Amino acid sequence: MIPGRYFDGHSSAPVEATLEVCADGMVRVHGLPEPVAAPLLEVEISDRIGNIARRVSFPHGGVFETPDNDAIDAALDSVRDVVGLRHGSGLVNWLESRWQVALGSVAGVVIITIAFLVWGVPAIANWAAGVMPASMDRAIGSGSLDVLDRIAFEDSKLPKARQRELKTMFTRMTAPLDDDHDYELELRDGGGLGANAFALPSGIVVMTDQLVELSKSDDELRAVLAHEIGHVRGRHALRHLLQAAGITAIATALLGDVSSISGILSAAPALLDAKNSRDFETEADNFARQWLKDNRVPEASFDAILCRLSHEEGSDARKKDFDFFSTHPATGKRASCKAPAAESAKPAEPAEAEAPADNPSGQAPSSDSMELTEPSEQQLPAEPGPAPIS
Amino acid sequence: MNESIALEGASGISASDARPASRVNLPFEFRGSGGEYFRIWIVNLLLTIVTLGIYSAWAKVRRLRYFYGNTYLDGHPFEFHGRPLAILKGRLIVFVAYLAFVFAAQVNPLAAFILIPLAIFGVPWIILKSRLFQTRMSSYRNIRFNFHGTYGGALGVFVGWYLLVAVTIGILYPAWVKKRVEYSLDNAAYGTQKWSFLTTTGRFYTFCLITFGLGIVAYAGFIFMVIGVAKGAQAAHGYGPAADIAALAGLGLGFWVMVLGFAIVALAIWGYYQASFLNASFGGVQIGGNYLRSNLEIGPLAWIYVTNLLGIVFTLGLFYPWAKVRQMRYQLENMAVDSDGNLSGFMADASPKTSALGEEAGDFFDVDFGL
Repeated sequence: MIPGRYFDGHSSAPVEATLEVCADGMVRVHGLPEPVAAPLLEVEISDRIGNIARRVSFPHGGVFETPDNDAIDAALDSVRDVVGLRHGSGLVNWLESRWQVALGSVAGVVIITIAFLVWGVPAIANWAAGVMPASMDRAIGSGSLDVLDRIAFEDSKLPKARQRELKTMFTRMTAPLDDDHDYELELRDGGGLGANAFALPSGIVVMTDQLVELSKSDDELRAVLAHEIGHVRGRHALRHLLQAAGITAIATALLGDVSSISGILSAAPALLDAKNSRDFETEADNFARQWLKDNRVPEASFDAILCRLSHEEGSDARKKDFDFFSTHPATGKRASCKAPAAESAKPAEPAEAEAPADNPSGQAPSSDSMELTEPSEQQLPAEPGPAPIS
Repeated sequence: MNESIALEGASGISASDARPASRVNLPFEFRGSGGEYFRIWIVNLLLTIVTLGIYSAWAKVRRLRYFYGNTYLDGHPFEFHGRPLAILKGRLIVFVAYLAFVFAAQVNPLAAFILIPLAIFGVPWIILKSRLFQTRMSSYRNIRFNFHGTYGGALGVFVGWYLLVAVTIGILYPAWVKKRVEYSLDNAAYGTQKWSFLTTTGRFYTFCLITFGLGIVAYAGFIFMVIGVAKGAQAAHGYGPAADIAALAGLGLGFWVMVLGFAIVALAIWGYYQASFLNASFGGVQIGGNYLRSNLEIGPLAWIYVTNLLGIVFTLGLFYPWAKVRQMRYQLENMAVDSDGNLSGFMADASPKTSALGEEAGDFFDVDFGL
């Protein structure tokens, strides 16, 4: 006999009563003006969750309610085999009642989440990007060059003949590529951006005069352009957007419905974002090196220009320390710099190039336009210097 | 009245039933515990993950049953009756519809325009259905709650009033907040007993304006602080907008401490708004001869928000179940029913049983509107 309360379902008046699970498979409520009984297989007994009261619902709408979960379970077990009651409905509760299972679950959730964020999200983003047409790439980057022209760039001051020469070189590089991007080289006076090159998702590659002047040969420029083509061809902007969306979705799913926190936890996804960004740089580097090999351009020219850029930037030592936060891999990992001091001895650059990372004319690289144009532009405030060859 | 709670399961007829004439104060009570909910939460989270989200419908039902079932009034618990399969079905339909829309927008971007009228006329419908779902799937003493709001009413409040607020540049916003609460609570019913919502519009204006003022002061303070620190760092970084950014970036830890400080101030203001909002909302409900009372205090509520945030941040989310339980406990234990002494006289409303279809549809969109 299990003590509890009975509610007839018509009024909110409780009646003190007891429940009996009989050996013949009948469930009876005693202590009521009119007795209530039903076969066990026709009543619904709510699943056990924590220690909330158990409900035994009868077919006509009456409910017997008791806080004595153990007594209900014991009574059910005693007749389970007699009436053919199914097993297993209490399995989740069994798991939920054990601290060992809870701790194991923590480990499981952490491992799966990390694995999914690190490998799953990039893989899904890669797949999704492959399904989407190239017109998506054009949509992402459209208009961003206009914005940059207004806030950062001026028209290229290179001689017209040199500009044509570089554009022809670029066209020759991209002509054999059979993807759907409209490759085009745009030359600009970088102003505060200094020596830099970046790719828009649509296939427009922008290179600054300062970078052209910094280079010692066209092979070096080819290496830089190949790296940028690697970004476009790898569809890094689209994949980056998809990954960011995936990371945000997971963070929201795991922690989202806490009413008192909102975007506060964005720091963790930002770190992951920086890691993905570095992966894209590595991918573009690999593409560039492969392209150089295939086209019999000395690979050393890629190392040379990278090293010169990083030396000019002068912040590589710092970047090595903060690789975890950085959107670009440390140059030491990207290229083998043999004698950077000797190389930079020759002043190939206008005055502003000598300015270190906190160059006062260094623009705000974290502006929205830059974020849209290129996945690999820096987004964390932890790294103030302009990024070389994004 | 407290003796009825002390008696718990042993007492069939609570003390309130014995004293019909005088008014009694019946406090809500929350009996869940953080440790217990932690185990439920983490096990269900893992099951949800390994089933690729399918189990989330079962997890949701278990979570709601845990919180309803641990909420006691006058010694009796509440109960949630939602069915996992119905919720799962609803989610699948929404998911498929979403995919179809994305695909259609891919093929023809103009398809996106179909969404505008769909949203305008669909959102009130979804709100109505989810309100129906939330009330009819809840019971107390085996009497279901109910909802009598109409589609026209929802359209007026959520679309008509929205437009009204927009054209009056927000002056009517507090009145709109009240209208939305009123739609949810004034249309609700416990059995056959309809609820009434009594709070005045003026009370909503008062706390909305105070929140607005506090927000402006805090925001201005934050901006001044940022400028001050940036100026201080300028000596090392030179001048110009880019240097400001570089200086800010160089602040590193200090910058994040500042952001955290601002977040804490923001949460305290949020605590004020939430306390005022919940008190004004639930505190204005009349159910027959019974009046809901809500006496949340700003300090304790803000303290709970702030410490919950810090706990969740510093445990990478593991504190979440305790945070949730703390918040629920504080909110519920500062609510009470000022009763005419008889909670046993409510009768079940037979009519909802005829509209099973509505409940099913409500399952599809069990959106939580935070009330």
